Amino acid sequence: MRSRLLTRGLLVALLILGALAMVFPFVWTLITSLTSGAGLSATPSLIPEDPSLDAYFTLFGTTNFGRAVLNSVGLAVIITFLQVATSALAAYGFARFDFPGKRVMFAVYLATMMIPIQVLIVPLFTQMRDMGLINSYWGVILPSTASAFGVFLLRQAIATVPREFDEAATIDGAGRVRIFTTIVLPLIKPALATFAVFGFMSSWNSFLWPLIVLRADGLKTLPVALASLQGQHATQWDVLMAGSVISILPMLALYVFAQKYVVQGATGSGLK
Amino acid sequence: MRSLSRIGIGIVASALALTACATEPASEGSPNGSTDSADPVTITYSNFISDNGNEDNLATIIEAFNNEYPYITVEVETLPYADYFTTLQIDVAAGTGADVFDIEYANYPAFQSLGLLAPLEGVDTSVYRGDIAEAYSTNGTMHALPTSFSAVVMYYNATLFDEAGIAYPDGTWTWDEVYAAAETLTDADAGVWGLYQPISFYEYYKALAQAGGQFLNADGTAVAFNSPEGVAAAEWLIRKSGDVMPTEAQGAGTPDFDSGLWADGKLGMWVTGIWNFGVAADSSFDWDIVVEPGKARAASAVFSNAVAVAASSEHKEAAQLFAEFLTSSQTMVDVRLGSGWELPAISNDAQLAAYLDQTSPANRQAVFDSLNGIALPPVIKDGQAQMQDIISEQLGEAAAGRITVDQALSNAEAAINSLLG
Repeated sequence: MRSRLLTRGLLVALLILGALAMVFPFVWTLITSLTSGAGLSATPSLIPEDPSLDAYFTLFGTTNFGRAVLNSVGLAVIITFLQVATSALAAYGFARFDFPGKRVMFAVYLATMMIPIQVLIVPLFTQMRDMGLINSYWGVILPSTASAFGVFLLRQAIATVPREFDEAATIDGAGRVRIFTTIVLPLIKPALATFAVFGFMSSWNSFLWPLIVLRADGLKTLPVALASLQGQHATQWDVLMAGSVISILPMLALYVFAQKYVVQGATGSGLK
Repeated sequence: MRSLSRIGIGIVASALALTACATEPASEGSPNGSTDSADPVTITYSNFISDNGNEDNLATIIEAFNNEYPYITVEVETLPYADYFTTLQIDVAAGTGADVFDIEYANYPAFQSLGLLAPLEGVDTSVYRGDIAEAYSTNGTMHALPTSFSAVVMYYNATLFDEAGIAYPDGTWTWDEVYAAAETLTDADAGVWGLYQPISFYEYYKALAQAGGQFLNADGTAVAFNSPEGVAAAEWLIRKSGDVMPTEAQGAGTPDFDSGLWADGKLGMWVTGIWNFGVAADSSFDWDIVVEPGKARAASAVFSNAVAVAASSEHKEAAQLFAEFLTSSQTMVDVRLGSGWELPAISNDAQLAAYLDQTSPANRQAVFDSLNGIALPPVIKDGQAQMQDIISEQLGEAAAGRITVDQALSNAEAAINSLLG
């Protein structure tokens, strides 16, 4: 009994230590953003000596940051929705229908995940230029409409839903669409939520593509606006950190909201 | 399902809202088209110089340009410096480049040799500061025009000098005098250090010039810094560390370490760029600047930005007019001096009088004096970034005592020579 308590205590202590190590960079970011004119070098005091919101006022007062936040939120929401919608449909097809070339197609689909964006960037950019989509939100949205990762994740999730459910519904007179929307989708909610978080996160953080496609000032996304805060010779760290804090918030909110499903989805459907 | 379709409608609505917002501006500065005989043209200008705070200043200059040339519309595209050159490369590859675009001296030779820069015929080069403009001339023809420059000088904390009872530095000081003063000023127990100078590529090529050495041999086929002068330069950078300057373990080299130390009044002398005037202006002590100390000769690091006209531009004439206006017009000088934006690289000192009259620091003449001995960074066509990293890394190893200075220079020599092929 005693030794069990001891192990438990040790475990908790270890976890707290780990948590502190992970939380520290965020706390540092937050403190720097609240310290006017702060540098990065000095060891931060855990309670800022002279806290001020100056950096935040500078951020929104002198740069087009509010617009960038709005752009990022809008794009992330649209892209996430499109990806979840297209991935769920494709996943349903791969999981439940038999058609010639299905295995090959799925393999090719997965193989696209191996190609890094840096390789595709010039041809894709030329294509967008020819379609007249440079400096247009569609230039960012269209190439992100489908996600191979999403198809894979959701196909695995749908495969765990017993086919007997489909069959029972068919006997009750439900068609394919109805089975998809009323039986399959509700049963893979954890996987949908997981993928929504991943999709949102990758869109939220994506940098290179929005940088080169969205050049006009009012179109820039948040990561690009953050990069603007670093100058050729000098950087205002407090303002940069204020921007970073703001860029973390939506992800944090989404994660807290979807946490229940994400843990379930990542451990349940994806890795089974 | 119902909630799903509701989300769907929300998405479409927000997409529409975004697109609507996106198409609404962009009507500023459209040409009247009627006042001038020339046909209206639209040129694009891709820049990083106005990013992060000078967008309005650039707009003012363009407005003045439009008054003079109403038939030319300039569309501006501003990108963060850190990613500007990535974007430029993609544009070049995709053929979507702007008519006029920013470059900096470090990448001028590469762009010029690739044939991306249009030769600028008939430019009056006398309006630019000679040495700075010279850097953008190939075979006697300008291929870019200098927009602005920054110089590295030596800042000193006059209050600390007074307390130590020693004379202020002046432009004639050499390394030895600076070192002696730094030793007097250093008080390790109080955390006060005599001198701060980064140990990096940017300091090394300059120190090498100060010592009288050369980075590359005459025809640029091999490095020439593994010489007595090269060793002296490396030792000058390294021997301060831990003695009159904090070591890497004490924080040197981390972002803003030096400006923090300076702001706390714990730094006697600071070798850094004039872009830190704004940071230093808030200091609670007296300070001023002097030209950097030399050894065999005076040499200062000077950085300049420039604009080039794309060789692929369909409106080269209009583009060149804009490039000249952007780099030499009176409006540009007024805007830059008035706002504290980087200094214009013009030769007419009378136009720059307003800059010299400002105080904090008082000795602004030092900025111009530093141009008398410009140490241009060595540039190679391929592997510029690798070359810089090699030097910084090897010097860092030597500073940490892991290898000797001789080893560091031999390693760097071998690595960079293999880059040169």
